[in-house]
Amino acid sequence: MTPRREIVASVRALDAGSSFGRSVSMVVRGGDFLFVSSLAAVDPHSGEHVRGTTASETRQILTNLEHLLEAAGSSLDKVVKVNVLLHTMLEAPNMNEVYARFFPEPPPARTVCGARLPDGAKVIIECTALA
Amino acid sequence: MREVIAAPLPGLDLRQHYGHHQSPAIRAGGLIFCSGMLPVDPETGERRHGTLTSEAHVIFGNLKLLLESAGSSLDRLVQVHALIYDSIEYDVLNRVYRQYVANGPPARTVWTAQIEAGFKVQLDVIAAT
Repeated sequence: MTPRREIVASVRALDAGSSFGRSVSMVVRGGDFLFVSSLAAVDPHSGEHVRGTTASETRQILTNLEHLLEAAGSSLDKVVKVNVLLHTMLEAPNMNEVYARFFPEPPPARTVCGARLPDGAKVIIECTALA
Repeated sequence: MREVIAAPLPGLDLRQHYGHHQSPAIRAGGLIFCSGMLPVDPETGERRHGTLTSEAHVIFGNLKLLLESAGSSLDRLVQVHALIYDSIEYDVLNRVYRQYVANGPPARTVWTAQIEAGFKVQLDVIAAT
């Protein structure tokens, strides 16, 4: 029988647990779903935080997300819900433009809001996908 | 399986009106994941700015339409994230909230965030099918 909750092995450098010493699993499977921790823009090779524009950070995050999901046996077209946190809602159009290039039709449900983000990040993205 | 819930009325299609790259809601694994609900006119998509109370009434009306079109309802909400522009309005939110989710209310988290277009409230919900 499949375990009800399972921590899914992920791309090593993207693993927040190893990169930042935090008690976080990047992808956890529960039931039919994969729950992906919020991602900030990180270089997938070095694990270093990448600072850039809202657009470039969004691109980096979604590239990493695509790899994470694929490593976990899912993909962007199986994402059901995305939460995007921005350092300011004035940047929402810049995020949206890059975002639209990543998610195939039909796109997942989404909520976008402005919030104070850690470590000077301009964007943070979390999602839930079908396993 | 992942299934898109279409907007039951034209105003609820935020993608069409505002270019947001999102589906109104997605049904998957026995749940309905709704995109962030905003106080827009369900017929025209026009923004309905007002007090937190008036905005919340519009949002719950829209949410009811969307969930019922998907065979669900406000009684089947599982989890609600309520984003408000200022925590000082927490009690105001609660007064409206109680009118719509009276019995066996869903799990809920409320926090303060910047909401698009200067709205005062946004609801981010998951419902059972």
